[in-house]
Amino acid sequence: MLSTALLAAVERGLNPLLALDAVAMARLARLQGKVLAIDCAAPALQIYLLPGADGIRLAAHWEAEVDCTLRAPASELLRLATSRDKVAVLHGPLVELDGDAAALTELADILQSLELDWEYQLGGWIGPLGAALLGSRLRGAAGWAGDSLGSLRQNLAEYLAEESRTLVGRREAEARFSELDELKLALDRLEARVERLGGGTRTS
Amino acid sequence: MNDSRKPEAEPTTHFGYQTVPESEKAKKVAEVFHSVAAKYDLMNDLMSGGVHRLWKRFTIELSGARPGNRVLDIAGGTGDLTRQFSRIVGPTGEVVLADINASMLMVGRDKLLDSGVTGNVSFVQADAEALPFPDNHFDVVTIAFGLRNVTHKDAAIRSMLRVLKPGGRLLVLEFSKPTNPLFGKVYDLYSFTALPLFGKLITNDSASYRYLAESIRMHPDQETLKGMMEEAGFERVTYHNMTGGIVALHRGVKP
Repeated sequence: MLSTALLAAVERGLNPLLALDAVAMARLARLQGKVLAIDCAAPALQIYLLPGADGIRLAAHWEAEVDCTLRAPASELLRLATSRDKVAVLHGPLVELDGDAAALTELADILQSLELDWEYQLGGWIGPLGAALLGSRLRGAAGWAGDSLGSLRQNLAEYLAEESRTLVGRREAEARFSELDELKLALDRLEARVERLGGGTRTS
Repeated sequence: MNDSRKPEAEPTTHFGYQTVPESEKAKKVAEVFHSVAAKYDLMNDLMSGGVHRLWKRFTIELSGARPGNRVLDIAGGTGDLTRQFSRIVGPTGEVVLADINASMLMVGRDKLLDSGVTGNVSFVQADAEALPFPDNHFDVVTIAFGLRNVTHKDAAIRSMLRVLKPGGRLLVLEFSKPTNPLFGKVYDLYSFTALPLFGKLITNDSASYRYLAESIRMHPDQETLKGMMEEAGFERVTYHNMTGGIVALHRGVKP
């Protein structure tokens, strides 16, 4: 009952969020009738996902047939949730997949490509003008924060590599690695040549 | 010539703690539900603190319903289970919401239509003891918080068995007996003081909610109901206690 209550609470939070993206809801509707089981090996936990036109229903038990079962430890499930290349994660040695994998990847893709139109929802509370103003301010602030963070990262890297010489710069390191590779190849060639010469001396 | 034979006494049954003639019970239960129909959902949320939604969720999860199935929701009332089943069975399936009480059926129908649940749902006013459906017709039959109001529970369970397909499941969600005696005392206190008070405040009808508390006490406990289902012909009968046994979900399979 506790897991049922927890999942009901998560569902109540998740579905209004999904409803902010009209495209996601339409894509979920196409998965109506599918039952996907997520079987987490460590910690042991099983969740059933039932996508449909009104969002995703979560269940702790499901007695009917399941279309797809994904078995993996929590770490792999987290990787699957965050990774761009889901197929690579699904082919990992710790992941087991039975049934209709296309439904699972489609659901994962829907969740990853969510574009929440929060401005429209906010407009219902504070009016379209207020929502547009707030939206442009927030977008501006987010853009500024992103630019500042990028600039800080670049300046810090330059300072550490070029000015304080605490770390080796990326290009410098790549050049050194390339020289090392060349050297290794030359050594391999030399070793092979010496071996041939030694063989020739023995046969003559 | 005088007829010396005494008129045969009509069999009696219980209506809450009262003993009434069998023919009276259905009428009295109907009065209760006519009285509470309009505020039924609000009262359910208030009395159970919203937990009735979790009990119904669990029922859905254990039903084994799948796309294309035919589901009968007896005593479906305001349609909480029907709404969920409608989503699961999809356009190729069918859900029948049946209730003996016209007021409850109308509230349920309006609520479902208003929320866009249409297409695969039909509404039937029917008595659980004599279901107006063919034999071997449904994949799943549910009765949630309805069996204790039925006059002849054995007949109702047999009727449900008849309309189920072989391999079909019956799910009975009903108030039952708390497993912990101390918790049972607290629950009794709550039932006989708070419930009639809520009834008085919200629906101006404390008697109906006193009946609710009394009818729960008169309803068969977990093991007795399990035995009744087995006697009717169900196999693999199991039950799950919920919220300390306040409610139990019985499940049986038609052989």
